[in-house]
Amino acid sequence: MKFLGLVLKSAKRSKRRTLLTVMSVAIAVFLFAALRAVLDGFNAGAEAASSTRVVTIRSTSLMFQMPISHLETIKNIPGVQDVTYASWFGGIYKDPKNFFGQFAVDPEGYLRMYPEIQLTPDERKAFLDDRTGCIIGDGLARIYGFKVGDKITLQVGIPLYGQRDYDFTVRAIYRSGGAAVDNQSMMFHWKYADERSMLKGQIGWYVTQIANPDQAPQIMRAIDEKFANSPYETKTDTERAFQTSFVSMFGNLSLLLGSIALAVVITTLFVAANTMAMSVRERTTEIAVMRTLGFPSATIFLLVAGEGLLMATVGGILGIAAARTIVNPRFLNAGGFIPEIGVNNTNVLVALALSVGIGLLAGLIPATMASRLKIVDALRRVA
Amino acid sequence: MGLITNYNLRSMVVRKGTAAMTAGGIAMVVAVFVMTLAIAQGFRSTLVASGSPDNAIILRKSSTAETTSAVMRPDLPIVESMPQVARGPDGRPLSSAELLTIIALPRVTDSQPANVPVRGVGPRAFDVRETLTFAEGRRFAPGTREINVGRLAVGRFQGLALGSDVRFGSTTWKVVGVFTANDAAFESEIWGDIDLMMPAFQRNGYQSVTVKLADRSMFDSFEAAIKGDPRLYLQPKREQDYYAEQSQAMTTVIRVFGTFVTLILSIGAMFGAMNTMYAAVAYRTREIGTLRALGFSQFRIVTAFLTESIALALVGGVIGCILALPVHGLSTGTTNFSSFTEVAFKFRITPALMVGGLVFSAVMGAVGGLLPAIRAARIPVARALREI
Repeated sequence: MKFLGLVLKSAKRSKRRTLLTVMSVAIAVFLFAALRAVLDGFNAGAEAASSTRVVTIRSTSLMFQMPISHLETIKNIPGVQDVTYASWFGGIYKDPKNFFGQFAVDPEGYLRMYPEIQLTPDERKAFLDDRTGCIIGDGLARIYGFKVGDKITLQVGIPLYGQRDYDFTVRAIYRSGGAAVDNQSMMFHWKYADERSMLKGQIGWYVTQIANPDQAPQIMRAIDEKFANSPYETKTDTERAFQTSFVSMFGNLSLLLGSIALAVVITTLFVAANTMAMSVRERTTEIAVMRTLGFPSATIFLLVAGEGLLMATVGGILGIAAARTIVNPRFLNAGGFIPEIGVNNTNVLVALALSVGIGLLAGLIPATMASRLKIVDALRRVA
Repeated sequence: MGLITNYNLRSMVVRKGTAAMTAGGIAMVVAVFVMTLAIAQGFRSTLVASGSPDNAIILRKSSTAETTSAVMRPDLPIVESMPQVARGPDGRPLSSAELLTIIALPRVTDSQPANVPVRGVGPRAFDVRETLTFAEGRRFAPGTREINVGRLAVGRFQGLALGSDVRFGSTTWKVVGVFTANDAAFESEIWGDIDLMMPAFQRNGYQSVTVKLADRSMFDSFEAAIKGDPRLYLQPKREQDYYAEQSQAMTTVIRVFGTFVTLILSIGAMFGAMNTMYAAVAYRTREIGTLRALGFSQFRIVTAFLTESIALALVGGVIGCILALPVHGLSTGTTNFSSFTEVAFKFRITPALMVGGLVFSAVMGAVGGLLPAIRAARIPVARALREI
């Protein structure tokens, strides 16, 4: 600690250089934290998935629907507590570019199944009582400025739902109490869509609540066996697997974002190590004088390494602060295309550790150079 | 090469370590830039290659993708009888009524279910899509449960090798041929006889009709004819336009993301270049003084140091392009969200993309070098010469 003053002094020696280095570390840490936040945003749904909910879809693919009669069959399987259903509506809000999730759901059962959808009792009643009512996630409401009482018109996107536009009234804005339900979706009464549907009684997927998560494998198998060899064979999976398969649709995100993050770190290492090396080279004579005065080479090593560490840590803190402010659902949204992203505490810690790592690595070679300096040669040098 | 330029380029080599690290930082930025844009480029050219300038695709009005379109059976003969549709040697129209559905197959890489497009096609499909050629096996025989699989799908999804049985739509299908299609999106698809696919998927209509036009200039009159027919609720599109539209959303997302990341990263690298150039100027204060004393103008000094900085950055740019090159041709995949199907494609690094990367690095060098260069030019001659 007693050398902190000395470290600060040498950092101040070339203010501009220190500032530039701190800024480039800050930018790198900002990018790193932002990339981690994006990846976490994608994985949040799977991470928060409930272990007592399983999802049943048609075995062919999610695109195909199955009859509502499956509901009673699933309900009667031992170990099943509750079943609800939903369909993908795929409507168009004004322009196909305005993409967000629209689910035709069994309103009461769905709200029971997903306590993550937070509504006040009044809001809940208002939604249940209105056949053409809908609820909107607060994230989605922020993007399009939807308010309670607004009318929303969706054009039909999937021919199954006829040709006429659908009109909805926003009955509530829900908050999401867990990443298993995102807050950028719209939910409305399945009956409303079914009335106008060309094929009646079609369901996209069933969600089953089971009493005991240990029984999940048996119950999933039992559900699928009930419908085996019927025209509507099913495939049941845990909620986590269901969510993960959505994330994997984007392609190998973790590899892509991971390689970019690696490039960011390497770039910064180059910049920071370069600066430290420059500053050591400039101070050759000074260091030689210090050695002559009796500073052991270990202290010199610590002084130089400490300077690198200090710059990187300050840069890291600045970068994290910027990421916290800017990478925030309030500032950024991708219009429902990707989940909401925000920098969380884990991201902050990892980014901080990264900046400390960069500081240590960047200072390592210059500090070794400085501590191994031959005093006589260094003193003899001009400049 | 002028004396002064030569001087600057040679001084760059003198300080190898610093120069290498600065160039290394810039190289990483350029590599990221080229690689992310290579994804966008690959995705786009895969979809665009799917369209032929001679073809038109007919969808339900206001449908944006085949998966959400519907064409009624009685509409087909009306469309096929139009004079703008090309005829084969037997006088029959060159058209293919198609069904595009999606089945879930596990991916080879992560065993997660992927949305694999399955296309039921008419007997003329291979005449309409001339780029399709068979790498292995043969065409499926109409009326049988045989299928053909695109080359990229074989490598990406489990169980699609030649000769294997695939179960979907409540029956089993046999793979009898693997085709290539100039890297088009068809290479990610499974093709079979539409007359067997429709019952298997419980469908009773087509989703799109693709026709070869007798002449590509006839598209406008073809469009007018379809729109003018009160029996049809359909919209024809040039096949190339249709696939370009399909690629738009995804390409834009990747491009915006790539540019955003590289722009921010480049600021960091530029600061690095600035540091290096300031140090270069500081080291050579006396030399700069000498040059000025010899009569070189301030402007000449600015351009000289700018040149040095740009040259340094260009070295980084070249290294970055070389670092990015190995990903060229690697195949990967993502979901095309307008059709909700998974499209396999290859990273594509085009010469234009590399030139873009080099220009980008030069700009980084210029911006990073400008302030230090101005500083170099402003040093008073007398003071500079006095410096040790």
